[in-house]
Amino acid sequence: MQQDATKERAEFDREFVDAFRRPVSQGNWVRDINPLIAFLVLGCLAIIPIWIEGLIAPLAMCAAFVAISLLAGVGRHFIPGYLKLFLAVGLILFVLRAAFEPGDLVLFRLGPLSPTWEGVQSGARFALVVMVLCGALTLYAALIPAKYLMLALEQQGLTPRATYVLLTSFQAITDLAKNVRVVMDAQKSRGIETEGSILTRSKAFFPIIAPAFLAAMNQTEERAVALDARAFSSKAPHTRLVSLRGPRPWEFGLLLVAVAGVVVSIMGAYLSWP
Amino acid sequence: MALVSIHGVSFTYAYSEQPALRDVSLQLEEGLLYGVIGTNASGKTTLCSLIRGLIPLFHPGTLTGKVEIRGRNLLDWDPAHLARAIGCVFENPFTQISGIKDTVFEEIAFGLENIGVPREEMITRVLGVVERLGLQSLIKKNPNELSGGQRQKVAFAAIVAMEADFIVIDEPTSQLDPEASDAVFGIIGDLRKQGKSIVLVEHKIDLMAQHADRIIVMKDGKVIGEGPTGDILTSEIMDVADVPRPEVTDLALALKGTAKALPTLPITRAQAFDAISPRLSG
Repeated sequence: MQQDATKERAEFDREFVDAFRRPVSQGNWVRDINPLIAFLVLGCLAIIPIWIEGLIAPLAMCAAFVAISLLAGVGRHFIPGYLKLFLAVGLILFVLRAAFEPGDLVLFRLGPLSPTWEGVQSGARFALVVMVLCGALTLYAALIPAKYLMLALEQQGLTPRATYVLLTSFQAITDLAKNVRVVMDAQKSRGIETEGSILTRSKAFFPIIAPAFLAAMNQTEERAVALDARAFSSKAPHTRLVSLRGPRPWEFGLLLVAVAGVVVSIMGAYLSWP
Repeated sequence: MALVSIHGVSFTYAYSEQPALRDVSLQLEEGLLYGVIGTNASGKTTLCSLIRGLIPLFHPGTLTGKVEIRGRNLLDWDPAHLARAIGCVFENPFTQISGIKDTVFEEIAFGLENIGVPREEMITRVLGVVERLGLQSLIKKNPNELSGGQRQKVAFAAIVAMEADFIVIDEPTSQLDPEASDAVFGIIGDLRKQGKSIVLVEHKIDLMAQHADRIIVMKDGKVIGEGPTGDILTSEIMDVADVPRPEVTDLALALKGTAKALPTLPITRAQAFDAISPRLSG
């Protein structure tokens, strides 16, 4: 009996438990940058190309995001997703802009469409600038878990209630997807066709979505009660099991450089205005 | 001062025609484990929600009568203080997970974070309850991906870690296997020994017989009996409530009036063993 108890105690992953005694680390210096600093730096990087004419700045920024993801060790996750975004969003934006933007130099005619060289240039720039903004957001999501951003925001004074709402909003997407799968299986067992042509799927849409939403709303009420059981409404200052490392001096330096980049690009744009 | 005083309370949920509680009067004392038994829809969970203050705060409806918790009217309690004063474990394990924690360890610590427990004490308390409930293999898992039984244990652990003096527990073992049920009842027994006040709803009558100090019997929203566990489980109230007695009590009642009748009516296996062992040795 005593041996069993000792064995069970030994099963604790001590390293896992001890990790809570130290500031949280994701095991990579880029990903360990303070979540708010990382947010601000990527925000600055995202808006710099807006102020710089031409295609080089947004292209360089997209490449920079890829480089950062590789440095952070999230390239395998970030790069395929970013490429898909380029194909799905960037390409559509480029084609729409290139096809309809008026210009003097018509490249070719295809029915009512007459793409121009000016349209191609404008479309490429517009698509690249949007991809820079998308890239910054996607990269941030790959670098910093939402819970660490919320923790950092709480340290800046955001209430636990607000951070909870934000975090559960992310979780709600997963929960709703799970609910939909469960309802879909249940409806299949009742003989409703949920697979096949678009028409078949459209018919199954409401019988699936309605119960899934009703279940989600019901769970929300029960979860509110469960949160109350965990004293979530307690007015005592909340403590946190997970702690964040404070921003290091070089992180402030990094932010300073990023802000300087924005200022320089804005000034450059202002000075180059005719 | 009584822990809970309920005087002539009736409650009807909003949009419901039938009352869930009818003219309930009860007085619960500190430091005892009260078992609540009854068939489905007899009002057990509603009684728990009332004692915990979820009625009328979270479950709207028509409430009449008077409820006092530790001498103070239920409606005068600050909900935040009530949440700290009374721990609560619910029946449905799927909605008791916060949904925002990545590991079971963090999930159990969530309640402690909310009441401002310092980090080191938090870790100690979570480790303690994890060890007592045998959750070592789960601590790194995502609570959103656990089975119903595992979630039930985690939810129970989370409330135990908060160390409230008074805990309301609604069917904590409904999705657990016998071994896990015994572990949960082992902890409930420890809590009782520590002098905590507990209101426990449970269908496993043999475990209830073993652990409860007093039993509250409910039927159709009414309390039809309340008293010491031995008295209630061997009384005819159990037949009226349509709740099965412990197996050993049924056996003893079946032997009653025969040549092999037991000298006492046991409600636990230990008592039955004590009653039978003189015959075995003789």
